[in-house]
Amino acid sequence: MTREEILRSFLEDELVEKKGYLKKSEVESFKWTSANTNKLVEVIKFAIDGEVSNESSNITEKRINQYLNK
Amino acid sequence: MILESVELVNFLCYSGDKNKFEFKEGINVIVGDNGYGKSKLYDAFYWVMYDKIFDTNAKSFRTTSQIKDQLVSDKAKNDTDHGPIQVSVKLTFHDTEKDEVYILERKYEIRKSDGGILSDDASELIISHKELSYMNARVVNDPHKIDIIKGKILPDNIKPYMWFQGEQVESIIDFNQNDTLTQAINVLSNISRYDNIITLADSLKESGIKELNRKKRDLSKDLTASEELEVRRKRIEEKIHAKQIQEVQIKDNQAKAEERSERLLNQLSDAKRIRELEQDRKNIEENLRRVREEHLEAQIAYHKKMFTNKWVLKSTEGIFDDYSKAYDGYEQTKLKKETERKANLMAADKLLKEMQTRLPIDVPEPIHMEKMLEIERCLVCDREAPEGSEPYQKMKEILERSKMRAQDMVEEDKPKNDFSMDLKKLYQNGLAMSHLIDGVDDDITRALEQLDKLDSRRRELQEEYDKLDSQVKAVIGETAINVNDANNLINEYSAQNDMAKNAIEQSSQLKYEIEKLESELALIEKDLTGLVVGELPVYLEEKVEVLNDFQAIAHSTRKRVFNRLVEMLESEANRHYQEMTSANLSAKGIIRLRELSNGKNYMPELVDEQGNVLRQLNTSNIILIKLATIMAIVSARQSSRDTDLYTLITDAPTSVFGEDYTIGFCRTVSKVYRQSIIMSKEFYKNEKLRKELLQDDEINLGNVWMITPSIPEAERTNRNSLTTHIQKLN
Repeated sequence: MTREEILRSFLEDELVEKKGYLKKSEVESFKWTSANTNKLVEVIKFAIDGEVSNESSNITEKRINQYLNK
Repeated sequence: MILESVELVNFLCYSGDKNKFEFKEGINVIVGDNGYGKSKLYDAFYWVMYDKIFDTNAKSFRTTSQIKDQLVSDKAKNDTDHGPIQVSVKLTFHDTEKDEVYILERKYEIRKSDGGILSDDASELIISHKELSYMNARVVNDPHKIDIIKGKILPDNIKPYMWFQGEQVESIIDFNQNDTLTQAINVLSNISRYDNIITLADSLKESGIKELNRKKRDLSKDLTASEELEVRRKRIEEKIHAKQIQEVQIKDNQAKAEERSERLLNQLSDAKRIRELEQDRKNIEENLRRVREEHLEAQIAYHKKMFTNKWVLKSTEGIFDDYSKAYDGYEQTKLKKETERKANLMAADKLLKEMQTRLPIDVPEPIHMEKMLEIERCLVCDREAPEGSEPYQKMKEILERSKMRAQDMVEEDKPKNDFSMDLKKLYQNGLAMSHLIDGVDDDITRALEQLDKLDSRRRELQEEYDKLDSQVKAVIGETAINVNDANNLINEYSAQNDMAKNAIEQSSQLKYEIEKLESELALIEKDLTGLVVGELPVYLEEKVEVLNDFQAIAHSTRKRVFNRLVEMLESEANRHYQEMTSANLSAKGIIRLRELSNGKNYMPELVDEQGNVLRQLNTSNIILIKLATIMAIVSARQSSRDTDLYTLITDAPTSVFGEDYTIGFCRTVSKVYRQSIIMSKEFYKNEKLRKELLQDDEINLGNVWMITPSIPEAERTNRNSLTTHIQKLN
């Protein structure tokens, strides 16, 4: 599975729309490279990226914390 | 990665160095009867990769160091008197994407000297790599690189699904182990990526909450109260955690119990029938035993009754009558004689009296009488009385008269012995018995009727017993469940059901307790927030919210993706199942992967079009479901990762189901696996099937080889000259 496919599977979750992170139409057209300021989507992307590139989970966690602490 | 060839030198029955099989993409088939060397070829692949071969007797794999010279062909050992004998198997793999070639060759050596054999302890694996197929091969010595190459050929976690023997199909997806399918999905899909992301999300959420709590404590207006609340919160969190673990365990137990019950349900009706039949058989056996005993007792009693019931007197009525007559005659005669004697007595008495009146006793006196007898002359009347004359007799009577009495006169007629009483007793006894004689015939008839009745009851029960016995044996034969198994199965079904019910109750109780603790926790959180003076950093609250949502999404996404994967597998499995069973019109059903109650595991089962589970599946059905499910996992994986291709090598996979399915199986395999090597005896025995294999357009056929031993098994006493003939059929 590609990063894009994994990301899509996450964004399809009903909570994403329910909690107002993305609208349904935005989810459908969303790409890995799409410009984004949504923190949840960024966190998901960090997690997927770390997983696909076999990054250590500690490093991924650190990167996410740094991003969210801004 | 395509396996291009295997070359065997003196390996088991493959004697000499001319044993080479070449393979292509598609399904490659090795055709041979039992004992022709198919499994030995499978062993050759396995030996190169894992330094082990399968010991069919021990049903386990044994290493080279355990087998030693048994690896070497008997012919090679017999032909060599002195010197080394080398065994080797060489596998050549071609990575067609990169045009790289990997050659894996395992070697082993023994030495013969003075009739003895010296064996090496270990074999040697040499891996060579050609960066381009036309270049020279270079030996790879780096252990890390060797591991990578072996991983490219066949990763360990995929091995069970790609290299297996027919009899191992059962265990690949073991219906007794409810997580084997889940494990297979985990191994052969990308779901582990989602699992890793869940672990990350859980950890992030936990650290985010800790950070927020620390901040709340820093901003607390009452540090002591905050600390107390935090201690309480920690305790409650620990309790919740413990209960959650317990809940998972209980749900696992529930799922196992339900799955086990479900599985047992397939056999339950058979088991119940066997138990009922067996119970009936036992009851009849007990009745039969009693009736036999009664019959035996009746037979013994029948003989005793000859005397106890006086049956011995049967037909003696005439004897008693005869005796009665004889006794009567005796009594009559005796009476007559008695009467006569009495009459004689009376006559004697009268005579004596008369004599007394004529001449008194002792007159004349006895001395004179004696004198008269002596001179033979009566002196009273003075007449001669010669001896023997009447006067002489009269004189003698007169002389003896004085000594005579009437009793004495008749005494000589009196019988000496009187048996009258004895004979009377005998008569009376006979009389009493004569009344019994009349009833003897009826008594005997009744006894015989009772014996007949018992005998016919015994025969009826014996027939009933034989009938039930054959029914029990037939059901046992059909279901392969013996009486003990049936009893155990019913008991276990009941126990598993009880366990599942208990687990549901426990789970419900735990859920209630967790909800209660979570309410307490929410109150503590509220109190802690209430103690905060000033504003919590916005970024921190936002961070916790994002991480909270991330964790929830990670969990639900994993579940959704997994369910989708299961749906896809189900659809793929059905496609393969329908294809494999297309030649058999009686094969019906749809494979359904049923989620178990713990929400983690799935089990394959066969349902009808209305979704009703089909019970009483035969072995072919079960094996085909398993094979279809394994193929579904493999084919689903191929659709997402094109490069992950491995060669399926399987020994006798078709032997476990009927020949009707063999061509369907080959068609499916040739579509699912880019390359497969199948060993089969079905195509050896059934020429029509072999022809079909070679001509079927739907089968993507690679090479088909036939192997035959140089000497048929029936004609050889040893393997000292055995070689294996290899012939290409297409």
